[in-house]
Amino acid sequence: MENVISIQNLTKTYGKKRGVADVSFDVHEGEIFGFIGPNGAGKSTTIRSMLGFLKFNSGNIQILGMDSIKDHEKILREVGYMPSEALFYPTMKVSEVINYAAAVRGLDCAKEAAMLCDRLKIDTSKKIKELSLGNRKKVSIVCAMQHRPKLFIFDEPTSGLDPLMQNTFFELIKEYVGKGTTCMLSTHVLPEVKRYCDRAAVMREGHLIKTAPVEELIKTSVKNVKLTADGKQEDFVFKGDINELIASLGSRKIENLTIEEPSLEELFMHFYENESEEQ
Amino acid sequence: MIAVTIQEFKLNIKNMLIWSLSVGILGFICTIMYQSMEGDVMDMADQFSKMGAFSDAFGMSTLSIATLPGFFATEVGTVHGLGSALFAAFLASCLLSKEEDGHTGEFLFSLPINRWKVITGKAISLLIHLVLFTAICGAFYFLAFAYLGEDIPTKDMMTFLLGMLLMNIEVASISYLFSSISSKNRMGLGLGIALVFYSYDLVGRVVPSMKDYLFIGPFSYTNASEIFAGKNAPEYSIIIALIVIIAAIGGTYITYTKRDLAS
Repeated sequence: MENVISIQNLTKTYGKKRGVADVSFDVHEGEIFGFIGPNGAGKSTTIRSMLGFLKFNSGNIQILGMDSIKDHEKILREVGYMPSEALFYPTMKVSEVINYAAAVRGLDCAKEAAMLCDRLKIDTSKKIKELSLGNRKKVSIVCAMQHRPKLFIFDEPTSGLDPLMQNTFFELIKEYVGKGTTCMLSTHVLPEVKRYCDRAAVMREGHLIKTAPVEELIKTSVKNVKLTADGKQEDFVFKGDINELIASLGSRKIENLTIEEPSLEELFMHFYENESEEQ
Repeated sequence: MIAVTIQEFKLNIKNMLIWSLSVGILGFICTIMYQSMEGDVMDMADQFSKMGAFSDAFGMSTLSIATLPGFFATEVGTVHGLGSALFAAFLASCLLSKEEDGHTGEFLFSLPINRWKVITGKAISLLIHLVLFTAICGAFYFLAFAYLGEDIPTKDMMTFLLGMLLMNIEVASISYLFSSISSKNRMGLGLGIALVFYSYDLVGRVVPSMKDYLFIGPFSYTNASEIFAGKNAPEYSIIIALIVIIAAIGGTYITYTKRDLAS
């Protein structure tokens, strides 16, 4: 399978402050790739490095087989990016912003834009300054999708969108992905990752700590344990050989024991706990 | 790049019209006031020309304000010089930084256009606005001379307007450089630069020891009294202006294409 995004050993620092360190991962053609991590984990730094907003210290980024620095402009022709803040020029009308995005691309995207505005219920006659965050997000979606890019990069796309619009948004993504577009979805809304993504990467404090199919992330050796023993109830996440857990419980009087797969949320939290807290 | 130029032109057209109409109409009113003051000005002109440093600073020792060109140069020269310099600084000092300050940079720079083209596109729109500003104001000044039925000193007027345009470009290019360095709008800094240049020229014409260094400042070659008196711009002043413009614009390209963009 061809890699649409290939990042190798990406390192970016802000002076003495940490950005991301030695981040490497691939995004395959036609997949929806989740990019998970809390605020400050380095997700936006990675994305901003990919798009050329930041000059990274070392590493290599290939997007659609092109070098992110050398072929920066060519890459952006094929990318639809939706930033987390979705801010535009406040005095412009929605239609003007959408047309401006198409004009810079040198394309006539009127038909696709009209379809998207209809699906997302956007009033294009309004001025940007009159719009709520949710409505600005919708404008941002149109700007990212109207030119039918080969790659979507979405940074916290659903914040501010109501549940109905979130559904419409993911329906649109699935439709475009069905036609061959690849999607990188940066989020900390884990149910979105679990529901829509094929694979995901987990970021923590500037480091990539895991990249795997979402199913595999859930089916890891980490287990959610609920134990009632010696008159006490204990809930904890266990990582390791399950036989060792059972052996360690042998000396205790067990009244009830449940071992189950963790939810993605719990798994996510597990990645952020220290080794000592895990067991 | 053309789309960026058009977009930026549209975003600032209202500002340009407000500023140019304000300065132009003020210049027009100042000029036609000559008619009502003509008799009194005759008496005042002699006194004004003998007020030492004050007369030097405002050019009244160079050209008699009793004549329309002298009156125009003294009154409108100051209004246009200061007004246009402030407009140039106002427009240029936020042109690049506003993308980061207003968080619109993520939208703009995610479009397939590199920073070099953004700088160029915005600079072209800035230049168009400065030319239009000068043209609109100039039209009012020509109109005022025509209204008074006086001969228009076309050559001097064009030298004055082109000199002012060059000064505006110089102030704008320095402000543009500041705009490329900062991720926050620094309009105050831009306006401050324009005022510092104006003050430098004003003080330089009063303080004898500074007169030899006037050519460094952009107001040296836009002194309306000297232009309408047929004097040439100070030696090297235009060359210095061109060097400053090239250095500032070059600096803008270097800094803006190399630095990280704030989110």
